[in-house]
Amino acid sequence: MESKKKGMSLLAKQRAAGWAFLTPATLMIVVMSFYPMVRAFLLSLQTGRGTNYTFTGISNYARMFEDRVFLRSVTNTFFYLAIQVPIMLILAILLAQLLNNRDLKFKGLFRTCVFLPCATSLVSYAIIFRFLFAQDGLINNALVALGIFSEGYNFLGNAGTAKMVIIIALIWRWTGYNMVFYLAGLQNIEYSVYEAAKIDGANGWRTFWSITVPLLKPTIIMTFIMSINGTLQLFDESVNLTNGGPANATITMSHYIYNTCFLRAPNFGYGSAMAFFVFIIVAILAFINLKVGDTRD
Amino acid sequence: MTEPKNRSMIQRRLIPTYIFLTIFSIISIFPFLWMISAATNNYIDISKGRLLPGKYAVENFKNLVAQQPLARAMTNSFVYAIAVTVICLLICSLAGYGFEIYHDKWKDKLFSILLLAMMVPQVATMIPLFQMFSTAKLLNTAVGFFLPMISTPFMIMMFRQNARAFPIDIIEAARIDGLNELQIFYRMFFPTMRSTYAAAAVITFMNAWNAYLWPKVIMTDGKSLNMVMLIANTIGGYKIDYGMIMMGVLFCSIPTMVVFFVLQKQFAEGITGAVK
Amino acid sequence: MKKKLLSVLLAGMMVLSLAACGGGGDDGGSSDGGSGNAAESDEGGSGGGSEGGHKLVVWTWDPAFNIPAIEEAGKIYKEEVDPDFELEVIETLSDDCETKLQTCAESGDFGTMADIILMQDNSYQKFVSFYPEAFTDLTDSGIDFSEFAEGKLAYSTVDGKNYGVPFDNGAVISCYRTDILEEAGYTIDDLTDIDWNKFIEIGKVVKEKTGKYMLSGQANSQDIIMMMLQSAGASLFNEDGTPNLVGNDALNECIDIYQEMVKEGVFYEVNEWDEYVSSITNEQCAGTINGNWIMATVMGMEDTSGNWAITNMPKLMETSGATNYSNNGGSSWYVSSNCQNTDLAYDFLAKTFAGSVTLYENILPTTGAISTWGPAGDSEAYQEPQEFWSDQPIFATVVEFAEKTPSNNTSAYYYDVREVVSTAIQDIMSGGGEKEDILEQAQADAEFYYQ
Repeated sequence: MESKKKGMSLLAKQRAAGWAFLTPATLMIVVMSFYPMVRAFLLSLQTGRGTNYTFTGISNYARMFEDRVFLRSVTNTFFYLAIQVPIMLILAILLAQLLNNRDLKFKGLFRTCVFLPCATSLVSYAIIFRFLFAQDGLINNALVALGIFSEGYNFLGNAGTAKMVIIIALIWRWTGYNMVFYLAGLQNIEYSVYEAAKIDGANGWRTFWSITVPLLKPTIIMTFIMSINGTLQLFDESVNLTNGGPANATITMSHYIYNTCFLRAPNFGYGSAMAFFVFIIVAILAFINLKVGDTRD
Repeated sequence: MTEPKNRSMIQRRLIPTYIFLTIFSIISIFPFLWMISAATNNYIDISKGRLLPGKYAVENFKNLVAQQPLARAMTNSFVYAIAVTVICLLICSLAGYGFEIYHDKWKDKLFSILLLAMMVPQVATMIPLFQMFSTAKLLNTAVGFFLPMISTPFMIMMFRQNARAFPIDIIEAARIDGLNELQIFYRMFFPTMRSTYAAAAVITFMNAWNAYLWPKVIMTDGKSLNMVMLIANTIGGYKIDYGMIMMGVLFCSIPTMVVFFVLQKQFAEGITGAVK
Repeated sequence: MKKKLLSVLLAGMMVLSLAACGGGGDDGGSSDGGSGNAAESDEGGSGGGSEGGHKLVVWTWDPAFNIPAIEEAGKIYKEEVDPDFELEVIETLSDDCETKLQTCAESGDFGTMADIILMQDNSYQKFVSFYPEAFTDLTDSGIDFSEFAEGKLAYSTVDGKNYGVPFDNGAVISCYRTDILEEAGYTIDDLTDIDWNKFIEIGKVVKEKTGKYMLSGQANSQDIIMMMLQSAGASLFNEDGTPNLVGNDALNECIDIYQEMVKEGVFYEVNEWDEYVSSITNEQCAGTINGNWIMATVMGMEDTSGNWAITNMPKLMETSGATNYSNNGGSSWYVSSNCQNTDLAYDFLAKTFAGSVTLYENILPTTGAISTWGPAGDSEAYQEPQEFWSDQPIFATVVEFAEKTPSNNTSAYYYDVREVVSTAIQDIMSGGGEKEDILEQAQADAEFYYQ
């Protein structure tokens, strides 16, 4: 491009610069994601082991719908998605809004506290939550002391409560993370807009809905897609907190895919097929999200 | 305008906010405080649910160092995470800027396609990636670690979304002043978007620091292990020494917190002053 | 002024990528004072023992157990056979060893595998039948397998060929706190050679008098059921390796016993491995039944020394062939197909794990790893009374238990079926339906995985 520079019009030069800017990132994604994806797709059409695969068409995809554990993992994952994502995002945006107040003192301290959970490494967070919710753990001790329970309840050993613990853990860990994006987004909104609203007599709630939310829309869409994606690919929490149990009540799609590939008798073709299923669902949801949210064009 | 009376009234109105934030903060940091306390206790006290700090910190640390190559894992983790952060921010902010500022139909289409890459479960691409990297002789190298992480659709999207707030007239003005496109990027966009960069740096550093599945597959020689792998090593044995594990976990958590702490001011200050 | 930031950024990036290209493997080298290994120049580190004829790379886990054992073996081989011998041990979790084996096999590139790798006995059937190309056949390697306990050897033998050199013994022991038993009015003899009915009876008294459970275990992993099954020579499989869950009387009996134990407060169900360990160490339980490697956990509680004793496990009542002996866990060494210097690897294993009484004697006090290699069991060290274990000569006892353990059917789908059964049992326990229906569904689920 450099050599042609002289002959280019200003506009052409700008266009070329635009493409040049996004080339490195695009190339990396093509090589590191799309190429392996294509390979994985080809694998999903085959069955076999090691270097020994035979082409079997869509049999792996058909198998999915007969696999009880997989279907259960789909239900579980969507359960998490439906409950956890809205609560978490609303909390995050609320916190960001509160923390964006100029008159607030100790902002840095609050911000750090709220963000801390996602800086904690996964292993510790899993251990901590298991300890908290253990049969003789802190939560149970407190509930017994308050007279709510007569003896410790096995939160992680029962299907319903184990799911709730995972949701609580997810909200605990990722709310601060999402808040960071909103905070960064809010910083890009001119503070004077708020001052003007205040002068117009708008109260906090109205300012929130009429100014914050619309102006944060790009960020909201982004975090929404990110959360959908993160939840549908949820893996760590399922593995570390409950190990999918009890009786697969909390297992997620990614966790089951991982088990299929690495824990059980290996079946990468089938694992890849399930992974593609996840991919397609996420893509559809993200696409809807973008279409609904993106009003620029 | 700012008489003291007015000010104290504002503060009074903020009391519910303070209460809410305080409660939320306590819930947020409690497990963290527990972790610090556990790192100073021995395993018996921990499993009995002791919450107060104990006096085993030194012993736990000694055990950890005796069993695990702590210094090496910390060094590796830093090298990996910093490399990923620096390169990722550079590549992705350029791309995000390119996609938004020069956007046209084709770039928008390309962007939608790139977004798809975010949605691929990691387990699906692991085997093909491993094949590629082992052919390229990149196993057990920092390069092998960071290549799959330095260009993420998510980061591009973040910069692209935030670039929308970047006023186009600044660019026009800069062009008239004779700056070329790259100069506009790093003289105008880069400083203006400080808060976005800071947030992106925190996120990227954190992801790179906490990466587990990928390094576990490609780091096979024991010398390239990162902190997360080290912690995983401490937890699988026949003896479970919670105190020692928590000491390791503490070491593993501090850097991400420090990074956040250092950068948070940047992205909290924002662009309000810088643009005008 | 802002330009500065960018140039710093750029410079930083270049330095890093240069440093990284310069050989990521060496990065930590200087900062680590510990394992000052002479020949670290060997590019890539783990890439087999291709260079020179005196070096072997090993993957194994647990710095308190397997790692000191293999290091001791290396020391002995260096002293007695090859003064230039060098052994590099890379700590790799059991799961990671398997993930890596699989990743290599699936991509058809074994170049990064270590020379000698430890693997769980239960994994041999699966990996050898699915990825035979990852292993070397040790049958004619010159290693003498005849001295190993037959039951143990069976795990790593596929189609009559030996793929593993047995290491630690998985014979099941019951360890009990004698002080707690005494409080409830029992001695270790009351728990020896008993059946599960008697065990539950004692357990109820112990619970009543001391508030302690007798046992604990992971609800999602069901080690106890597997041990019960094997103690009667039964398993989840038919002879041909297909799942056998419906109409499996032994399994039925085991589930009934398990249900009763949980119901009566004799057995404490936990969710994770570390919770299981801490249920023993924080004295919630009066004992535990597991593979004898669990002694490493128990012996971590130094202040309870002298208050522990071991005996055999309770036996099933209705299943024919029931004994008081079983097996759980244990592992064996295999030589990967990436090993360039198989002669050295074979010779090393032949002269240490399959040929050195000294090795087993030396690792016994530090790790408690008990051999399945006959001659070691006869050695003096194994007859020594152990203070921690109420002066019982426990090592000889364990070897004796191992010899009495019946073997049973297994399958390449061992983990799949075991998981299905664990799920089924959890469903039964939570009252999710009739036992027969759940087992029938489990049978169907298990067969699904065979397709």
